[in-house]
Amino acid sequence: MQETNISAKNFEQCQKCSLCETVCPVMANNPKYAGPKRSGPDGERYRLKNGIFFEDSLKYCLNCKRCEVACPSGVRIADLIQQARIDYGRKAPKLRDMMLASTDQVGPLASAFAPLANFGLGLSPVKGLMDITIGVDRHRTLPKYASETFVHWFKKNAAAAQEGYKKQISYFHGCYANYNYPQLGKDFVAVMNAFGIGVQLMPEERCCGVAKIANGMIATATRDARINMNAFGRSVKEGRDIVTVSTTCTLTILEEYPELLKVDNSLVRDHVSLVEQYLYKGIVSGVLKPVWKEGFKARAAYHCPCHQERLGWGIFTTELLKMIPGMELIELESNCCGIAGTYGFKKENYKVSQAIGKPLFDNIMAIAPDYVACECETCKWQIEMSTGISVKNPVSILAEALDLDKTAAANR
Amino acid sequence: MPVKNEFDVIVIGGGITGAGTARDCAMRGLRVLLIERQDIATGATGRNHGLLHSGARYAVKDSESAEECIRENKILRRIAANCVEDTGGLFITLPEDADSGFGLDYQATFLEACNRAGIEARAISPREAIEMEPSVNPSLIGAVVVPDGSVDPFRLCSANVTDAVLHGAKVLVYTEFLDFIREGDTILGVKVLDTRSGETAEYRAPVTVNAAGIWGHGVAEKAGVHIGMYPAKGALLVFGHRVNNVVINRCRKSADGDILVPGDSVTVIGTTSTKVPFEECDHMEVTPDEVRLLLREGCALCPALASTRILRAYAGVRPLVADDSDPTGRSISRGIVCLDHETRDGVKGFVSITGGKLMTYRLMAELATDAVCRKLGVHKSCTTAETPLPGSMNGRIESVSKRFEGKPTAGQKGAAGRQGDMVTKIHFETEADRQLVCECENVTLAEIKYAVKELGVRNLEDLRRRTRVGMGTCQGTLCIRRAAKALAEALGQPELADKLAADYLDERWKGMRAVGWGDTLREMEFMQRVYKYEKPYSYDEI
Amino acid sequence: MKFDVIIIGGGLAGMTAATALQTSGMRCAVVAEGLSLHNASRREFCAAGGTLLAGDRVVSGRFAGDRLVAVRTEKLGDIELEAENFVLATGKYFSRGLVADMDRVYEPLFGLDVDYDEDRSTWFDPSFAAPQKFLEFGVKSPGGLAVKDGAVIANLYPAGEVLAGLSSAQGDATAAIVKSATDAANAIGRK
Repeated sequence: MQETNISAKNFEQCQKCSLCETVCPVMANNPKYAGPKRSGPDGERYRLKNGIFFEDSLKYCLNCKRCEVACPSGVRIADLIQQARIDYGRKAPKLRDMMLASTDQVGPLASAFAPLANFGLGLSPVKGLMDITIGVDRHRTLPKYASETFVHWFKKNAAAAQEGYKKQISYFHGCYANYNYPQLGKDFVAVMNAFGIGVQLMPEERCCGVAKIANGMIATATRDARINMNAFGRSVKEGRDIVTVSTTCTLTILEEYPELLKVDNSLVRDHVSLVEQYLYKGIVSGVLKPVWKEGFKARAAYHCPCHQERLGWGIFTTELLKMIPGMELIELESNCCGIAGTYGFKKENYKVSQAIGKPLFDNIMAIAPDYVACECETCKWQIEMSTGISVKNPVSILAEALDLDKTAAANR
Repeated sequence: MPVKNEFDVIVIGGGITGAGTARDCAMRGLRVLLIERQDIATGATGRNHGLLHSGARYAVKDSESAEECIRENKILRRIAANCVEDTGGLFITLPEDADSGFGLDYQATFLEACNRAGIEARAISPREAIEMEPSVNPSLIGAVVVPDGSVDPFRLCSANVTDAVLHGAKVLVYTEFLDFIREGDTILGVKVLDTRSGETAEYRAPVTVNAAGIWGHGVAEKAGVHIGMYPAKGALLVFGHRVNNVVINRCRKSADGDILVPGDSVTVIGTTSTKVPFEECDHMEVTPDEVRLLLREGCALCPALASTRILRAYAGVRPLVADDSDPTGRSISRGIVCLDHETRDGVKGFVSITGGKLMTYRLMAELATDAVCRKLGVHKSCTTAETPLPGSMNGRIESVSKRFEGKPTAGQKGAAGRQGDMVTKIHFETEADRQLVCECENVTLAEIKYAVKELGVRNLEDLRRRTRVGMGTCQGTLCIRRAAKALAEALGQPELADKLAADYLDERWKGMRAVGWGDTLREMEFMQRVYKYEKPYSYDEI
Repeated sequence: MKFDVIIIGGGLAGMTAATALQTSGMRCAVVAEGLSLHNASRREFCAAGGTLLAGDRVVSGRFAGDRLVAVRTEKLGDIELEAENFVLATGKYFSRGLVADMDRVYEPLFGLDVDYDEDRSTWFDPSFAAPQKFLEFGVKSPGGLAVKDGAVIANLYPAGEVLAGLSSAQGDATAAIVKSATDAANAIGRK
């Protein structure tokens, strides 16, 4: 009796040690935010008594989940906060929040008119207008949209060849690789194919929903989550594990679906892996045989994104990158970059966002690497904008470092 | 030589009965002195469930008590809106109850008895019960909805005292009754000891009311009269958060651990019932067997309790009174016992009010005040059933928190919930005053200053009873230093801070020791570390 | 994944042992649930090339004979962390190196033998300020090694507050904690 104490999201395990407050990047920079302890477990006790105790300031939480990594008691602090925003924050989302959140709705439109959209998004007066009208900060360069989506490219150039591989996986590309940076998807396919693995897409794939959750669009997020889980279920049944490239999508699917959206993922969760984890396991177990390019040389600084910290899988990326001959990998001290998805795009958060990221930017600029290695797409925007140093996804680094032809031969 | 009486009536005991009696007497125009050896609400008043009984629990066995309860229930909702939460209650029938003769047949008897007593009760299906209260044991086979609620006994007592003072009463806390001043068969007043200064004093009044709960036994002995009392210990456990939002009872003969009450930010399970010697009444400790029993029975009501953190355990002593009509002294009166010792024992100027329960305190006070007025030849009728208590004029937290400029902060909402419309007397003007001292319970520096100024707070225990400071999950680990400093400064005695903190920690420690395992033990280690480590808790290295 | 030493726990004891071992040339990994107050030492450890698994926790161990062969963590799932030697620096109750339920105190990861008093009434002193017996409980470690069911585990070294008789909740025990960690590191280094 009473051996283990488990409450919803473990909030009762909170011992009030306040370690979460020492790592919260927002609390240090925004006095309006009461911090993770008070917004999470403290607030929850009173919200259970009366919803009137819900605080508007919970919106300042950027859901980086550093509090959860720091918590010695296993309290799902950020989830408590997101859950409270879902349960008590009744206001309809602003148009701006909806636009930033609907990465899959705005994405297709913007891609179709990419040159125009990019021109529009980059031009000063337009930026000023967005600043005033919908509250996207004028300092932000909104992510560029590619003229050809990854899916379009894949169907045209790669789909047919995939059947030829003995081993097959399903690739959850996410919105970013599809609309903003198809090259990442292309690199993924190249690397997988080189290891003798065929890549299939899931035609029903929907946005993971992270931005919708953050912006209060729960009904849509839940609908999309169900569609995704059906697609994942079918893929698993057909013998294909799901491989992802985005740490945030992965965390959302594995943790937030069941925790916040109440969408069950128990049947598929052991079949979902991040690409770095997938390749690491394959290479270490001897199933996958990499052949590296001769003369490859790079000095990279690895930035572990917040959600990767929460997943606890950063070690797979670093171990994988350390395998590359000629790679000098410097692990950056753990810090949040401040962007947190759509958070940093909001006018009210811009200053806080940049202040949060400053220690990381300073650290990167002091090291002055050839590039920063990082799995996260929004960290990439933020770091590139703030330091001028380019950021590469580990998959793209692998695509450069592997001798793709020789690897393909070795894995045939 | 005739002595001029400074007071018309002296009330001994600052529990809810004494506070209610002082208020009633004062409202009827009497000059009142209330004496209490500790702080208000320190005895059984502050050591129960905080259940606003509907009376359903007594309906089958004791219809008189049931009727009293439902009448007072409706009155308290009106006059003490700020201390009461309308949670509603369930009486559930479990499969094992059917095996022991308390199945759905009993439920029918129960329903009928409730309705006869004027308690609105209706049976609902198990599914409806689960919908109404998701934490209820899902194996239930029947449920009855009753108008139970929860009541904060500390604040209820405090509001009565405040109102008595507003009506001219004098209240002396930390003032212990020593003996009566007596002439022949007449009680003329009391000799008291100021427990903090060590000084004694005498106060005179034509009538003295003994409202000292279980300690009333000893008070009566000093007057040479005997009231057959039995101290009955009741142990309770406090869980870390509100597990349920509706009171859950078992629909069977009253037994141990069969009431689960959500109050403020916690849930309380209770109670046990054990006769204890009088000498132990001041030192109640909850035993492991009691904890086990409460947990076992609590889990039958609400299985989630098995995995919910217990914050602390506490026990109170009910004053059970032998029925005067039974010469053997063996049968216990469950109702209110109001004794005029002149007619009963030939002792003039002395009234005892005892028995009863938290729920019926107002009625007890009314009966005692009626007796006092009879003795004094005063003809004024009781108005306590119609007059709201301070804080409860418009006590809903929603309406109170609208009075703040802009959006109310967590601390302001917390204060509004506790102090009701008295919150307008709290000064939140400066940034420092808005700062939270106790983060678990949303208590600001402003509220602490208010409690010292308006509510007669002397130490952290007093403060806790009025503001919930240190009653949250950390049991004061994080806030006691801050609270002690704030309180000592508000009292104008900054040097007191360490002593205030040390006393409070011993009290918290007592409640935690009884349930010192699991996460509570983790908190206890943390608490020791915070207060004993040479370099107390700092993040310097980060 | 293979390491020379795996250190379970990233507090003062864990980081002291880990940094000493890593700088002496061994390949170390620290599994550290929750942040500790010892970030500075974590920085030093990482700078020396150590692997820090922050926010993860060990959930089980695999034994062969009298040796601990590998541990699994919550986050890494079926990927085992293998090592020649292990340091157990999980602390006391707060950090869940020890767990107390109503009737007993146990070590939750491996079920190591724990020194504690079965009579609960002795655990606490009524005075908060007095020494508290429950803070003296901890794992047994004759000769610096952990014991399970009476048998010594040849490569598992408890260090810091998880040990019986060692607690900083009763006053500053920094020196004793550091010494226990240094002893463990030295014992491993001598092998």
